[in-house]
Amino acid sequence: MATQHSRSAARLMISPAVILLLGWMLIPLALTLYFSFLRYNLLMPGTNPFVGLENYSYFLSDPAFTAAMVNTLLLVGGVLVITVVGGILLALLLDQDIWGQGVVRILVIAPFFVMPTVSALVWKNMFMNPVNGLFAHLAEFLGLSAFDFLSQAPLASIIGIVSWQWLPFATLILLTAMQSLDSEQLEAAEMDGAGPLSRFWFIMLPHLARAITVVVLIQTIFLLSVFAEILVTTNGGPGTASTNLTYLVYAESLLRFDVGTGSAGGVVAIILANIVAIFLMRMIGKNLDA
Amino acid sequence: MGRITLDKVTKSFGEVQVIPPLDLTIEDGEFVVFVGPSGCGKSTLLRLIAGLEDVTSGEIRIDGRNATETPPARRGLAMVFQSYALYPHMSVRKNIAFPLRMAGLEKAEQDRRVVEAAKVLNLTDYLDRRPGQLSGGQRQRVAIGRAIVREPAAFLFDEPLSNLDAALRVGMRLEISELHERLKTTMIYVTHDQVEAMTMADKIVVLRAGNIEQVGSPLDLYHTPRNLFVAGFIGSPKMNLINGNAAKQHGASTIGVRPEHLRIVPEGGLWTGTVGVSEHLGSDTFLHVHDTGLADVITVRAEGEVGLRHGDTIHLTPREDKVHRFDEQGGRVA
Repeated sequence: MATQHSRSAARLMISPAVILLLGWMLIPLALTLYFSFLRYNLLMPGTNPFVGLENYSYFLSDPAFTAAMVNTLLLVGGVLVITVVGGILLALLLDQDIWGQGVVRILVIAPFFVMPTVSALVWKNMFMNPVNGLFAHLAEFLGLSAFDFLSQAPLASIIGIVSWQWLPFATLILLTAMQSLDSEQLEAAEMDGAGPLSRFWFIMLPHLARAITVVVLIQTIFLLSVFAEILVTTNGGPGTASTNLTYLVYAESLLRFDVGTGSAGGVVAIILANIVAIFLMRMIGKNLDA
Repeated sequence: MGRITLDKVTKSFGEVQVIPPLDLTIEDGEFVVFVGPSGCGKSTLLRLIAGLEDVTSGEIRIDGRNATETPPARRGLAMVFQSYALYPHMSVRKNIAFPLRMAGLEKAEQDRRVVEAAKVLNLTDYLDRRPGQLSGGQRQRVAIGRAIVREPAAFLFDEPLSNLDAALRVGMRLEISELHERLKTTMIYVTHDQVEAMTMADKIVVLRAGNIEQVGSPLDLYHTPRNLFVAGFIGSPKMNLINGNAAKQHGASTIGVRPEHLRIVPEGGLWTGTVGVSEHLGSDTFLHVHDTGLADVITVRAEGEVGLRHGDTIHLTPREDKVHRFDEQGGRVA
């Protein structure tokens, strides 16, 4: 097979895909890098002079940047904790033989199929609205005053919404992992005198370690770029209370029409995401080795 | 101590009764083998004794105490599983120490017992490895080690050798027998391999469809099988079972003759046939004889080498005192 001829043919065959992919990634990246060094504001058309690192220093010294960093980490960390812990508990429940198992499993997975804007709007208007929301009605029924989630606890509310979306994913992955556990191991542990909690702690949890790693890695990638949920609920506010890095870049370039600073922010976000990725791989990537 | 009594124990899965009422007593220190074809309920029976399955009715007594409702961990039994069921994320040391750790023993005492067990099982050099880095036989020994550190009243083995290759199986068979000699603890061993049953057991329990067909020492079962099923199951190669006229002449509906109890005679034997395949083992030769008019094929075991070839005519005579007679229901005729 691997003659000189077949190898060059293979290269020729995959080149359209490779060129397309490279173009797709490299051109936007290069343009973003280029714009980040220009003073480029859509409100001041005309020349776009080269300004060096000015955009970066402006973006990084913006007080909103620190807030956005903290918010991003809180959002990612909070959702990860809720989905992993909740996912393990739900997977434990779903692993039991119950009547209507199939229907219950589909219901659990359902939130994952609801697109982010829709689910955020549903939460905002049907649950968290301080006048018409279900939670407001519930509070009223209990004789409490309604809590305005999105203005009193904007970031926590968004963490809740995003967790609700990602919980099914974590549950699904952890459930399949749990089902792959050899039942003889659990029986052996039972014979060895391990109670239900010990069996969970010493046998199940180590078995789930790899699946948990996968959940954490995949979710981190997606959670760093949460955007739609913020846009349709709080618009990053009040102030910058629920602005994450993605939303800050959007605000710079499309609300303040400052393409240069927005691009600088984008580059900073890429670098930060990679730093997070490196740390994650260092910390838990060893779980993925066979 | 490890005297286990089953009193009218039954087990049903839904509508299906897999174990009809069953009585059995296992004496302290005995090596009992449950043997039978797959699906005969022998593993279920073991799991009932272990407590991993609940009995549907009846009573299980361990050392005289009713243990029917006792959870598995408090029955004082240790089990070795077919898949070994080692904990893959723990080292061998931690695997063996696990039951001790669960029992809340002191760290020093745990270490002492683990080291002791490892010495018995030749695992000392492997204590810090993970199960994934061990061979099949070593994993098996770790599983046994995990069982012996608990110093249980009885060991339960669920087809422990079926995942090993033939050579290793013979070795482990000896090691387990050796272990029994040394520990003198009750052992209950489940297998579908009658050779394992014959070589290891003090007492064999032959099971079919949840029923006990016969209980006895290996040689009891070999010499006086109580019915056709046991006759066909125990012994290798299998007993020749012959129906029809030849059986009637012996006053039975079916007669059974073991391959080693057929003599090859030069002329005028009772039966005549044509030699088919012959299997030469060196020490013995197994001849498959066709066209005898008795059964499809009659197996003959001859000592040493035999000068017979494929297609030759052969004359056979059974040793009359070794012919087993069975009636129409398959029961033994004395």
